[in-house]
Amino acid sequence: MLIPDLPSHLRDQWPYAPKYARVNGWRMHYIDEGAGEPVVLLHGNPTWGFLYRDVIQPLLKAGYRVIVPDMIGFGLSEKPVNEHAHSLDGHSANLAGLMQHLKLENITLVCHDWGGPTGLSYALSHQDKIRALVIMSTWAWPAPPAEFHTRIFPWRTMHAPLVGPYLFGRHNALAGRGVYLSVVDREKFKQRGMGAYEAVLPDPASRLLTWTWPRWIPLDNSDRANERFRWLESSLSRCKLPAMIIWGREDEVFDAATFATRFKKMLPHAEGPHLVTGRHFLLEDSGPEIAALVLQFLKKLPAQ
Amino acid sequence: MTSQIKIIEAPSLTEKRRAFVLIEDRVGHYPEFRDFFDRSFDLGRIGLSKPGYVCAPSSMVYELCFIGRSGEAFPSGVEISAIVDALEPFDETVVDRDLWEILCWMIEGVGAPWSVEDLDATGKLYRIPAAQ
Repeated sequence: MLIPDLPSHLRDQWPYAPKYARVNGWRMHYIDEGAGEPVVLLHGNPTWGFLYRDVIQPLLKAGYRVIVPDMIGFGLSEKPVNEHAHSLDGHSANLAGLMQHLKLENITLVCHDWGGPTGLSYALSHQDKIRALVIMSTWAWPAPPAEFHTRIFPWRTMHAPLVGPYLFGRHNALAGRGVYLSVVDREKFKQRGMGAYEAVLPDPASRLLTWTWPRWIPLDNSDRANERFRWLESSLSRCKLPAMIIWGREDEVFDAATFATRFKKMLPHAEGPHLVTGRHFLLEDSGPEIAALVLQFLKKLPAQ
Repeated sequence: MTSQIKIIEAPSLTEKRRAFVLIEDRVGHYPEFRDFFDRSFDLGRIGLSKPGYVCAPSSMVYELCFIGRSGEAFPSGVEISAIVDALEPFDETVVDRDLWEILCWMIEGVGAPWSVEDLDATGKLYRIPAAQ
């Protein structure tokens, strides 16, 4: 499968051969390039592997094997059309399925947004497979993740019953305008990225996960993912894996002062937080800088 | 703002079809939304026996088909279909504006802390045509 209807200037940024694996009954798309120590790059909502396009080549040139999966429901992976097909644990298990399929060991896991809760759930339940963690603009604790997520405008309204399917489904508001609002250089994003995120979510039903994921963010103790987030917080706080924290200086949703600081408290041995230019989708503004930080971090890791 | 959406009796479906336009799998994600539909259509009494119907400002009629799910309060979901001429396409712009009106009606009915002003601001933020 090729990226549908993507203009050549966007397709040229993604020259990778698509690969597919069956995980938990779903068809998962991923790329698997290079040879060497594996680095797995995990995107979140509503992006796909394309988010890491400026990170992949520097890692390959430095001799790493780079695996970039598209979460089930995003990118070129299968997109279930029923909300009940999605759960936090299910997505972590999908990642575990791919890691097992590829028989990966000594993984450096790089997480952004929902790549955090899903990737860290995998990492903390398979620590023997993990070499190091890189954490960007995400969270790993129970409610409320940020004051922003408790607000009616715009957060709770945009994914409210029927409103979510209308705004994010019929109008693709998150993959287009939503990401646009959460980058620093919006004109550059419009030219280099926006079309790639919109193109892979062409129809309302294909966009289901864009309003389903926000509903998995716990707002109080009764929410369905609360227990998993408690486990994540407690497991991550005991985790001794090498780690690095990178954050967008301009991120107003997962603001660095709250979120990066909290990760640093949970992982006091972690490098960083390194602040780069960027709002929530910091890879759109600072991909090459993030690639350089990841490479420096990898080079300092003890030999296996 | 007072909504222009009206709950109506079941229309004649002769030479009409149900054109699916929007689905919500989890209407009780915020339970006050489920309560609104329960209250508005007397669902505690009617249950799954018949759908609800509303008339929009365009004068088009929409069917609200409520969905039950084992282990969850009823309704767990709702499908909205436009009632349109059986063999003709419908005007998507009109339907989109009607759906926006249905959302405004729902939010107004759900009540505080939800507000049509916040819905409107959210629609404008995301440049939704019906909210401009």
